[in-house]
Amino acid sequence: MAVFPSLDWFQKVRDVYNSDGSLHKGGGGACHTTAAFKVNGQSYLIVFEGLKCADIRTPTDSELSEADFVIEMPFELWKAMVANVQSHGKADLHYTLNSLDLQQDEGIAYSPADDQYRQDLFYRYNQNFQDFFDASARVETTFA
Amino acid sequence: MATKASQGMAVPAAMPDSSGEKAVEGVPVPTFDWMGLSAEWGTRIKPGEHGLRLSDLNVGIYGEVPEVWEDQTRRPRGALPRPGVPPLPYNLRHKHQMWADSAANLYEEAIQRRWIPATDVPWSSLKPLPDDVERAVCQVCTELMQYANTEIEIITYWQDQMSYGYYEVKQFLATATFDCARLIEALRKRALSNGGGLGQESRGLVNRMILESRGGWTESAVYLYLMRGSYMMLVLRGLLNAAHNDAERMIYGKAIEDWARHLTYGYDHLKYSVSHQAGQADILQTLLTLGEIMMGAELQESTTRPALAIIFGGGIKGGRTVGMETYLHLVGDFVRNYLAVCDWLGVPRAEMLHPMLKKYLEY
Amino acid sequence: MSEAPVKQQEYDLDTSWMQHMGEWGMRAEPGKRGLTLAEIQLGSYGDIPEISKNMSGRPRGAGERADAYRVGAYGVRAKSEIWLQNATFLYEEALQRQWSSATDVPWHTIEALPDAVEEAECLLCTFFNEVEFVAGDVPARWVANTTPDFFEPRHVLLAQVMDESRHMDVFRKRALANGGGLMRMSGATSGFVGSIDLARDFTEMSTRLHISGEGAVLTMFRMGELFGQNEAEKIMYRLCAQDEARHVAFGVMHLRFLSETAPERREEIEFYLDEAEAQILSGVQNPAGTQAETAEALAILLGGGKEHYDEGHKKLLVIRRRQLKEYMQRVKTAGFGERFENGRSTVPQQYESAI
Repeated sequence: MAVFPSLDWFQKVRDVYNSDGSLHKGGGGACHTTAAFKVNGQSYLIVFEGLKCADIRTPTDSELSEADFVIEMPFELWKAMVANVQSHGKADLHYTLNSLDLQQDEGIAYSPADDQYRQDLFYRYNQNFQDFFDASARVETTFA
Repeated sequence: MATKASQGMAVPAAMPDSSGEKAVEGVPVPTFDWMGLSAEWGTRIKPGEHGLRLSDLNVGIYGEVPEVWEDQTRRPRGALPRPGVPPLPYNLRHKHQMWADSAANLYEEAIQRRWIPATDVPWSSLKPLPDDVERAVCQVCTELMQYANTEIEIITYWQDQMSYGYYEVKQFLATATFDCARLIEALRKRALSNGGGLGQESRGLVNRMILESRGGWTESAVYLYLMRGSYMMLVLRGLLNAAHNDAERMIYGKAIEDWARHLTYGYDHLKYSVSHQAGQADILQTLLTLGEIMMGAELQESTTRPALAIIFGGGIKGGRTVGMETYLHLVGDFVRNYLAVCDWLGVPRAEMLHPMLKKYLEY
Repeated sequence: MSEAPVKQQEYDLDTSWMQHMGEWGMRAEPGKRGLTLAEIQLGSYGDIPEISKNMSGRPRGAGERADAYRVGAYGVRAKSEIWLQNATFLYEEALQRQWSSATDVPWHTIEALPDAVEEAECLLCTFFNEVEFVAGDVPARWVANTTPDFFEPRHVLLAQVMDESRHMDVFRKRALANGGGLMRMSGATSGFVGSIDLARDFTEMSTRLHISGEGAVLTMFRMGELFGQNEAEKIMYRLCAQDEARHVAFGVMHLRFLSETAPERREEIEFYLDEAEAQILSGVQNPAGTQAETAEALAILLGGGKEHYDEGHKKLLVIRRRQLKEYMQRVKTAGFGERFENGRSTVPQQYESAI
């Protein structure tokens, strides 16, 4: 059982994602990016290298500012997304990352460096990030 | 257009409407005048055991491939035209100018059989080779890179002149140029990763012949596939046979798979062209008469000849004997295959074969 | 291949070419991402000429020969005309992230939809089937016109042609998979001045295609993922958006390189951006603009049906606003952001006044 949000939870999702190739859907593929998730004021740095999620850790301020992009949502939206994945086995039609991004007026992804090229990595690697969060269906979760 | 009774199904809105407002002021009144405009409605194609493939879509009017596609716009086959759309220079609008029945399936096969040189090739299997052999491998890599570059340039020259009525061919050729880019990449990597470098450039006799064939795509295809492509396939097979390590085996093996598709399309198209265009067989005879001269000259003077001999013979010394013998036999096979395909196409060449190619039949 | 008989005859073997090869002794090693194009930029093989004199089509770094035919006739021979710093990265990424419309889209998840929704979806698919290969045909033409000394950007463009071929195919499949069919063509990309395929300069073409056109289509693909009614549509649009974002990245990074290395062309590029913005804002070549029939289809899909058209149109405007913002951000990243501050561009005002 892992508590969302927590480093432990994200690392468990990473382990699930890396362990089962069937979770990596067609159209994903090798991906090289460092991004971050911001939940309830806490940040989690995620590093993708190739076909693996290489690392998830708590970033320093400097590391956070150097992330390609950050996904940040109100906690209730994060919780709703994770709960949706838990109950459906993967995000349903309304809780994919892209859907959530377009449903919010200002979106959920931004580049700390204000560099649209880097923010566009959220679009270029969207399938990998979607697969990552869909993998959380296999992590028994409680909410903070 | 067939009308359908609404099934009263509800579709959830893509975004929840939190405003609670009714109709928004300032929203332009839609015309919906595009609704109901379809040449054929009610098409429902289901995926088969290999998924939903391009060839599965050829039902009803969507499968009607006319002999002439008059439309010079980007109208998809089966879509309704729109008056007033200016034409674009899609000059190849006859089916016999590009068609091959196999194009759709070859397109899908190309996607399924993709490979990635950076990570799929076992580069660590490369071990130092004797200098003369390494130089020969690098020289052949360089020549083949130029072959692939020529193929890219001639296909991309013609591709945007091919009309949308035969989109399957355009789609297949997109995979072919991608294959060429990948082979150039793989061969360049091979040449630069084992203590060698690139070779000397080709003089380019046949490259020039291919690139200067501007009469039509079919005419380019004759040189690209029937002459150059057939030869290249045998070179790749010879290289695979003589490969020094798993990296080379993979590169040559995958290239053979890719070029087998190219040749299938090429031969298929030439057959269609000859059988559907009066006089095309005679034109091909003329082109091949000239082409055999160029091909014969290049086979004689190209550095591919000594380089392959060295590879097949395991070095310069062996290249002078068994290596060259093997190479000459390879060229003999090329000429034999070439004659057989010409016969199959209905463009027999045996009686008129140029002496510069005929001499290889003794091997 | 038949077996070669072994004979003892000795043949002449010309080895003079061994003295005329390219730089020797290269030993590229795979990095953590494999043996990518970045790893083989060794010695002279990594020297990208500012102006290419390669008219014979030889691979960059190959030994030259005086009697090679000049078959190239390449129009694009200046590095600044086509280069981008991360071409090798984008090409390798394209190779890694290919997908199959036949097998990677779960077509079996598509179920019948209300008529108006199916028609709207089919109209969009007809539009995409029509326009996607503009971005195939046009880059292809430029590949033939570019010296192989710049093979890295050429390869990215060839990967784009491959991607667009797949897009052309996947939308045709969707239109014919659920009881619908193709609708009327849009004519949106045909031959009139300012259109992508009439450009006679690569950067002009890329500005219109990659930054303006594909940026707009990227937003549409993302909208498609948002209103997708089944997993097949979600995945189809998501994977197309991934590809499209890569194409946009090419345009942004090429424009950035040009802005840094060819300052004498800045004013010229500003005019291309002026034209592109006029078309974006007028809706002529912006399918998510206010006038296009595709906008009506999008409003139906975003609202969840014809009866919710107004709601859908409101949502379309919100997303269009995002599209304008991202366009500005990309142009800024490309090094031309001043136009949004000095009053040259009216996009900022449009952005502020939208919704």
